Amino acid sequence: MSVLIGDPVLDELRQILGPGHVLTGKADRLNRARVPAPFPVHRWAERMPDLVVLPASTEEVAEVLKLANRLRIPVVPRDGGTGLTDGAVPLCGGIVVDVKRINAIREIDLGNRTCTVGTGINALKLNEVLARHDLIYPDDPASYPCSLVGGRIGTSGWSLIGSRYGHSRDLVLSFDHVLPTGKVIHVGDGIGRKITKSSSGYQLKHLFMGHQGTLGIATEATLKLFPRPEAEFSPFWAFEDYDSAYRAVGALARAGVATFAGAVLFDEWKVAYLRRDDEAYIPQPSSVKALVCAALYGYEDEVRAGGRRLMRIARSHGARYLGDEISEGDWAARHDRYATPLHGRTRSGQVVPMSWHCEDASINYTGLPAVRLAWHEIADRLRRESDVFDDWGMFAYTNGATGADYLTEIDIGIWEQRLDDTAWEAWVRAKRDLAAVSLAHGGSISACHGSCREGEVDLVPEELGGGYDVMLDIKRTIDPNNIMNPGKYLLDQAYAEKS
Amino acid sequence: MPDPEKEFAEEWRDAAYNCFSSGHKFCREVCPVMQVTRNESWSPTAFHANVVAMEKGELEVADVAADYVNCTGCGACELRCPNSLFTGDFYRFRTRTVDLVKAVRGLAVEQGLHQPGWQRWNLLTDERRHEPVLGATPVEQARVRDWADGLDLPIGGESILFVDCEAAFHRTSVPRSVARILNLAGYPFGLMNEQWCCGGPAAEMGYEEQARRFARHNLDDWRAAGVRRVLVLDPHDYITFTEDYPKYFGDAYDIEIVLVVELLAELIREGRLTPHVPVERAVTYHDPCRLNKRKGVWREPREILRAIPGLTFHDVDRVTQWSYCSGGGGGLPVEKPELTAKISEQRVGKAAELGVDTLVSACPWSERPLSEAGAARSIDVVDLHELLAESLGVAP
Ligand SMILES: Cc1cc2nc3c(=O)[nH]c(=O)nc-3n(C[C@H](O)[C@H](O)[C@H](O)COP(=O)(O)OP(=O)(O)OC[C@H]3O[C@@H](n4cnc5c(N)ncnc54)[C@H](O)[C@@H]3O)c2cc1C
Ligand code: SF4
Ligand code: SF4
Repeated sequence: MSVLIGDPVLDELRQILGPGHVLTGKADRLNRARVPAPFPVHRWAERMPDLVVLPASTEEVAEVLKLANRLRIPVVPRDGGTGLTDGAVPLCGGIVVDVKRINAIREIDLGNRTCTVGTGINALKLNEVLARHDLIYPDDPASYPCSLVGGRIGTSGWSLIGSRYGHSRDLVLSFDHVLPTGKVIHVGDGIGRKITKSSSGYQLKHLFMGHQGTLGIATEATLKLFPRPEAEFSPFWAFEDYDSAYRAVGALARAGVATFAGAVLFDEWKVAYLRRDDEAYIPQPSSVKALVCAALYGYEDEVRAGGRRLMRIARSHGARYLGDEISEGDWAARHDRYATPLHGRTRSGQVVPMSWHCEDASINYTGLPAVRLAWHEIADRLRRESDVFDDWGMFAYTNGATGADYLTEIDIGIWEQRLDDTAWEAWVRAKRDLAAVSLAHGGSISACHGSCREGEVDLVPEELGGGYDVMLDIKRTIDPNNIMNPGKYLLDQAYAEKS
Repeated sequence: MPDPEKEFAEEWRDAAYNCFSSGHKFCREVCPVMQVTRNESWSPTAFHANVVAMEKGELEVADVAADYVNCTGCGACELRCPNSLFTGDFYRFRTRTVDLVKAVRGLAVEQGLHQPGWQRWNLLTDERRHEPVLGATPVEQARVRDWADGLDLPIGGESILFVDCEAAFHRTSVPRSVARILNLAGYPFGLMNEQWCCGGPAAEMGYEEQARRFARHNLDDWRAAGVRRVLVLDPHDYITFTEDYPKYFGDAYDIEIVLVVELLAELIREGRLTPHVPVERAVTYHDPCRLNKRKGVWREPREILRAIPGLTFHDVDRVTQWSYCSGGGGGLPVEKPELTAKISEQRVGKAAELGVDTLVSACPWSERPLSEAGAARSIDVVDLHELLAESLGVAP
């Protein structure tokens, strides 16, 4: 434990939070030192926080930050701990502020269709309650059952099929935010808690979303709700080659069908990966090389009409409809079936448990084919370098809200049990190269997770250009003592410059 | 690291890595303990990750023994885990958090690391041959059959009814109802000669040597009396007899274990029991974790409820109920009664949202904490067997 966090600090924290909510045990700390992203297990101890606090209110968070700011103790916010850019992983020890206890539903406003919740709540759990009012909160990452609202704010994440209604940044209307100094502000459009659009002043909401906990901690959020759609149609189509599937998905997204929520393109590597278990894809003949699925939501009559149009478009691009059964079955399960550690294989075909890396670039439609080839090339290089790596194929997601850019994902399996420094170095190099490909094709390193992991983060100043310098200035102004999640996004530079 | 710990880490290493390398926590929000504590140290993910940390020399069992108290053994996390759910059959793998938690608890006890409440509980159980439950009947060997006073049940026979400690000394209306129903159906059964606790709770709290001794006694007693079939009304006993005993005794264990709920549903189906007295209640059913989540038994209790006239039944499907629990299992109420109470409160809260007046359970161990939580909300907690007896006109 660092010298700063001696007994007097612990006593003060216990006074703020109650003794049961200040954790110093080794297991308490180890279990808040990692997230599901690839992890150098052999260097676990380097990422340990000194202690963990479990606040129950905005006031408690504010008191903890005041103390940390006074004593210059690093603070790392943690919510679901599912973020894939290591945002919730401490790089400099300090205090993990785990906000999961702040999870009450404070208000459901049926008149304005909003709800106000603690940021420790999970969207699936929230939707169980909203269902009683025939409403949904549609933020829908593949981590829907496990990510929490605070982490959605901290990452400004991407919603998959729910994005017909927008992404986290559109769905979160406003929130209480504790600044690194402990001051509490309310961030939203204008002053309103429930306003979706205001031109008053700077647009601060975007600044305080997606900062990976480097600018403070959101504690209570007001969210936009929608009526639960009456009907859903989720067709799956098979293709004999990637190019036809690619052309089809573009045509579907461009068609302008109002009920179109989103579409996903699976490439040949992904289809082969999914064929490694027998439950969904093996029944498809080997001529199936690529897949596209789409989802439509709305009233029965509009979904039917929109569905017919999309079916026509898909067929004209060589699609074969796979029938209702697989569509419904797979769609129901799609949130959590795609990253199975057991699908890991060594070059000789041995089954080994592998961790999942999910590259999540934002790429324009026209850039997809080239990025795909360059990425598989990098994955292939990794596999040649070491048997701990495996290419799990690619997805590209688009949706009604964007249609032009795609969350472009290559999944790489990493056998962590066998990771050593050499393999980790190779991984970090590859990670940097993957990000460089995205930038070279006019894309962004990350569509949803953020970009502060080893390797990729080196390229963020290049991606943002002059904007990165503004980031440094903002960080220094808002967090004068660099207590919030130090080490992330290379922001420590902001302080070096000052001195 | 001491040797037993090393052995343990080796045995569980691969299973632990299968979770560790996923680490996605799809299991978190269904976990009843997690729901009320929101403490990530007490999650299925952490229970697996700690083993990896032990293997890497970062942790010893002494560091984590107390964390492993925080599990009711409900099994929800195993069902919700994508590794079991989607690809488990193909790889012949399933996530086994419940066994892992039990194993760590066992390892702790083996190293002399005791939780004070559990140590006392098992000491008293060892002395009295039954768990020290608080009830109207004092816990003594001589009084284990007091619940059956006036029912004229024979001792021994091919089929015997095994009554768990909670029901034998506290919730006696449950075994009385079962006995009357079976008599009504003309289903022959007796009571055990010298029944001891099944040993399951000791095993769950890590006292495996004691559990095995109790199991040995019970099996010997059955053998001596020529018992072929054991009728079980308590889901916890059902797990012990169908999972622990086969593990202890291997192929030599040839006793047929019959779950009373399944038997009663069958007797109704065959027309040997016909519920006819209307029971005017608005009910919902609590799927006991060990039936629904661990044994896949959820149809029969609903069949029985639907056969009872007068009931308004607001059913909540079994998958939604993966995240429900009474908090009464896995030794949690002994060591952390405040968590059990919170979990029960939450469960009863779900029932209250349905506007029912009665929560029906089929597990005596859930009924004490649920009743306490129910009292605060004017919701009756009734056992399924009691309800059926009422509708058959054979009130206990
Ligand atoms: C299987 C799987 C699938 C996924 N699919 C998607 C997907 O489809 N789309 C997508 O966008 N993401 C996806 N993710 C990534 C992850 O779920 C998201 O990034 C999510 O938003 C993280 O939420 P969390 O609650 O787990 O946050 P954490 O991991 O706890 O935190 C994420 C970041 O936010 C910061 N933070 C946490 N709480 C707060 C707070 N209250 N205030 C300010 N900052 C805070 C943390 O410091 C950290 O930097 C997936 C992850 C997994 C494991
Ligand atoms: S138990 Fe299953 S769902 Fe939970 S973290 Fe481990 S692998 Fe994921
Ligand atoms: S068995 Fe139940 S209580 Fe135990 S960790 Fe799993 S979900 Fe939680």
